[in-house]
Amino acid sequence: MIALLVTFLTAVFILFAGIQKQESQFKNITFLLLLFGGSLALIESQGIINLEPFFGKILEGYMGKEPMLEFGLFRLMAVAIITLIAAFIIALMPATNRKGSDILALMLFSLCGAQMMIGSNHLVMLFLGIEILSIPLYVLSGSDKENLFSNESAIKYFIMGSFSTAILLLGSAFIYGGTGTFYFSDINVKLSFAAHFGEFPILIKLGLVLTLVGLLFKISAVPFHFWSPDVYEGAPNRVASFMAIIVKIAGFIALAQFIQNFSWMQGWYNQFLIPISMITILLGNIAALVQKTVKRTLAYSSISHAGYLLMFVIAPFGTANMWIIGTYALAYGLGTSLLFYFMDKYSLESQTSETSKGFDIFNGMFYKNKRESIIFTVAILSVAGIPSTIGFVAKFHLFRHSFEGSTLLTIVALIGSAISIAYYFKPFKNIYSSEFSVESTTSNSINWIALFMSIVIIALGFAPMFLTHGLLQ
Amino acid sequence: MLSIFQNLDISHYIYLSCVLFSIGLFGVLFRRNAIVLLMCIELMLNAVNLLLAAFTEYMGDPNANGQMFVFFIMVVAAAEAAVGLAIIVMVYRNTRKTDVSFLDSLKD
Repeated sequence: MIALLVTFLTAVFILFAGIQKQESQFKNITFLLLLFGGSLALIESQGIINLEPFFGKILEGYMGKEPMLEFGLFRLMAVAIITLIAAFIIALMPATNRKGSDILALMLFSLCGAQMMIGSNHLVMLFLGIEILSIPLYVLSGSDKENLFSNESAIKYFIMGSFSTAILLLGSAFIYGGTGTFYFSDINVKLSFAAHFGEFPILIKLGLVLTLVGLLFKISAVPFHFWSPDVYEGAPNRVASFMAIIVKIAGFIALAQFIQNFSWMQGWYNQFLIPISMITILLGNIAALVQKTVKRTLAYSSISHAGYLLMFVIAPFGTANMWIIGTYALAYGLGTSLLFYFMDKYSLESQTSETSKGFDIFNGMFYKNKRESIIFTVAILSVAGIPSTIGFVAKFHLFRHSFEGSTLLTIVALIGSAISIAYYFKPFKNIYSSEFSVESTTSNSINWIALFMSIVIIALGFAPMFLTHGLLQ
Repeated sequence: MLSIFQNLDISHYIYLSCVLFSIGLFGVLFRRNAIVLLMCIELMLNAVNLLLAAFTEYMGDPNANGQMFVFFIMVVAAAEAAVGLAIIVMVYRNTRKTDVSFLDSLKD
């Protein structure tokens, strides 16, 4: 709750204070406030302090006996992870001379939606969270108004986003028709009661499938992924990074929270979730292999990560499972936001035209800026899942855990992981290549935030017990 | 007149909503004009509204949860339409068209 309040108040403050000011003036204060909110949520999720009674009193009049938003310990940790990653994404944004801080404010409002999705306990709250997450993003993806690519991305994202919302709503309406309630826990009670008497009404079955399809659209799992590479490619770089990371993690944790309630039906929904997971991993990785531009490669790699995240459904549910999702989300967020940062920075410096930002933008990076190339290397190794990084810890626990559920899926995931090395290591050829224009400046300056993130990646890779102590409890 | 509607079975409402939803769905898939696409999405949302209102009445939910959800959907649909029309105006300024089939520069 504290993170949600801090994010919302920061967004309102920035929206009004930044009307006539430059955006870069507000970047640091946004970063610090989000860091504050996220750290408080992280401390609270470790059970050190408990702020919930305090906020419970404030919101007593609004939330009734059974709250529609519920922040248990795992959800608090997820909110903390997503807030901190959003803080780092905002801190890594390039400084522009743009007037008005509307982009920052819209990102923060979108983050509020992500936090609401994670905490949702009720179908209405899930729907509102998704919409609060999506509507600012429709605007953000078209925020480069003169650019036709950005326009196309906005209209595609808008149509596919509202389409998936409508499907999710039809699913919610069917579930309501079958059970008479919107609370996840009550739906589960009604369903298990009906199942006890050997009934499983077609209406509820249809409702659950449609709701899952709506959520799978949001996380761009494979049969519903076709919009995402186009949208990510057309959107401005900093927005694409926000969309690829925040939307995916929030949508994913919301999906996990939703189906976790129906864990006794695992056999039923695994019939279609396991094939979706397999095909997402394979198609995402193979399609990423043949892409020519860096941004599209990153888009397809984020699709394949959605497949890895979906693997959790086959393992038995429990606290350990949730910790694995949290760890994977953290690893994915840290690594991918760094990759997007370097993609953005070096595509601005390169001279090639807008449409062909291939891997040659990284040409000679090692000779231009040695320290930065090391940070970039760390990020690539983490996303690819090489040992001694957090990416390896996350993938190792995910695969080990899913091996107990389905051997076939784990093998497919390992094959996909092996394919992914091929395209993640493509930039290494360019980093050490000497084919770059001589007049380009060499510098030793580095972004301190990027350095800090790479240190976190390595540190958690060497000391995974900070992450995994939740697994062993 | 009112009694006719009250005597209708719930299945009629479900069929009607599904038909309306499908019209919207196929409209989104096959029409090419951005404004028509927006209208089709609104039609899908309104089909859900009708279904929720009918279910609430059918189950005699004392809190009328379903009908409360309808209000939320209406508000969100209005916000979505505002953003959607702004995006269409932005595209129109650059291309002088509202036809989405011209927007095909992003592809593999």
